[in-house]
Amino acid sequence: MTIVKLDGVTRSFGEKQVLGGVSLQIEKGEIFGLLGPSGAGKTTLVNILTGQMPCGGKAEIFGMDCARIGREVYRRTGAVLDNCGLYERLTCMDNMKLFARLHHTPVSAIAETLRAVGLDGSEGLRVRALSKGMRQRLKLACAILHAPELLFLDEPTSGLDPATAEEIHALMRRLRESGATLFLTTHNMEEAYRLCDRIALLHEGRIVEEGQPAAICRRHGSDAELHIVTSDGKELSLPNLPENAGTVAALMREKKLRAIHSAEPDLGTVFLRLTGKELTQ
Amino acid sequence: MTAILALLRKQTKDSLCNFPALMVMLIYPAVAFVMITALGSEEGMSGMFVTMFATMHASFAPLVTASNILSEEKEKGTLRTLMMSGVSRLSYLVSEMLFVVSVSMLTGSAFLAMDAFTRDHAAAFAAAMLCGTVLSALAGLCVGMTSRNVSAANGMAVPIGLVTALLPMLARFNESLDRAARYLYSGQVSRVLESGELSGEFAAVMAVYAVLLTGLTIFLFITESR
Ligand SMILES: Nc1ncnc2c1ncn2[C@@H]1O[C@H](COP(=O)(O)OP(=O)(O)OP(=O)(O)O)[C@@H](O)[C@H]1O
Ligand SMILES: [Mg+2]
Repeated sequence: MTIVKLDGVTRSFGEKQVLGGVSLQIEKGEIFGLLGPSGAGKTTLVNILTGQMPCGGKAEIFGMDCARIGREVYRRTGAVLDNCGLYERLTCMDNMKLFARLHHTPVSAIAETLRAVGLDGSEGLRVRALSKGMRQRLKLACAILHAPELLFLDEPTSGLDPATAEEIHALMRRLRESGATLFLTTHNMEEAYRLCDRIALLHEGRIVEEGQPAAICRRHGSDAELHIVTSDGKELSLPNLPENAGTVAALMREKKLRAIHSAEPDLGTVFLRLTGKELTQ
Repeated sequence: MTAILALLRKQTKDSLCNFPALMVMLIYPAVAFVMITALGSEEGMSGMFVTMFATMHASFAPLVTASNILSEEKEKGTLRTLMMSGVSRLSYLVSEMLFVVSVSMLTGSAFLAMDAFTRDHAAAFAAAMLCGTVLSALAGLCVGMTSRNVSAANGMAVPIGLVTALLPMLARFNESLDRAARYLYSGQVSRVLESGELSGEFAAVMAVYAVLLTGLTIFLFITESR
């Protein structure tokens, strides 16, 4: 089932075109990653999808035009966005209670959600007293409290320490297991590679590559060079030439060959090759 | 309806933790109380203080509170969060209006305890205060809707509040100011508080302001949603 559908989505600010015809589809139950450098238009696209910004072309979630989404759709979606805040003077619990009431979710679900994001024990803390990572977890808790079918995450782990980021990744995987669809933006290629079922590379408002992360890397791999891993864990690279056949055959005869594959670039290198630009900020 | 109740609960808790907001709501009744206790024994003084400070309370407190709440929600991005949780803009504005008007009326009721009101006088007092409070709150909403952040909102709300709060008081000392204050809703509120009687002129001025401010609110509501 298609949850998100974009067809030739455009968006300009004044003279400047930020999105120049973005088309993609996201299916139910996948973690989709939108990858691009700073200023590529990732947040703009999320704002369009969450109904906060008009656009040209066609943008739909749950088969509903994004410009016209209302309460029924918001009940089925959650979002962790930079421009969305929490009540600083209230405690974690009071914030959660507000969203529980707004979503008609039983207040008893709060404790479990806070535990899921690792904030159990912080119920009574005021938001202004929280660290950046804790705030991000609380935002996530508020966004998933009503068990949304579709979750938008705009750079959910940027600026967080690796351990916290990993916990958030684990939570995202659990949400996927429970049937939710996740749309995340990031400029962290490592995160995208490990977490996402499918990714799209966004560059200057256009999608330059799309697919499974490993498949994208293979597609851009070269067969001019072979990567060999031997049974004792050594790695070597050999030019893919007839004169090296002997070396490979010898390894096979000695049962020392563990893996042999083409030389695959990482996502950052793919991005660099496609656009001539670094992916990181 | 659930949303409005949830927002009212949130706003109550939030305001109780917000010292400046509490001050705005309590300052005029408190100052009036102190002045009356200190000087009230003189003939007619307590009535004058109540009229003066109650007028200020009805014109300033709802205006500043309403504009502050709305602009802070915008500045901090909490309004976005609410909208994305399915809160409609209309129910948000209704809940804010309800909150601001009821809290101002509640703290404003302290004035009733300060003066020996007759029953008729008290009814006129309550009616005038309610009208003034609702109009000020509407003006505050309009300021909040047009401002991006709290400082922009205060930059607009404080001067408006100073004029509506102080002009009726200054009108006591100057005839041309008195003539101008007649056309100001707070000026009419002040007159009713002083005389203890509702007048046709009061009703007419309130109606004109109600139409103007409601119209402006609706206009901003529609243009903002584009
Ligand atoms: N409201 C706005 N008005 C004018 N220009 C804007 C606005 N929002 C975004 N832009 C421009 O659109 C471009 C894309 O911005 P966007 O925030 O979508 O980038 P991003 O991919 O999310 O970047 P980052 O990784 O830094 O968050 C930027 O050049 C930005 O200046
Ligand atoms: Mg961004």
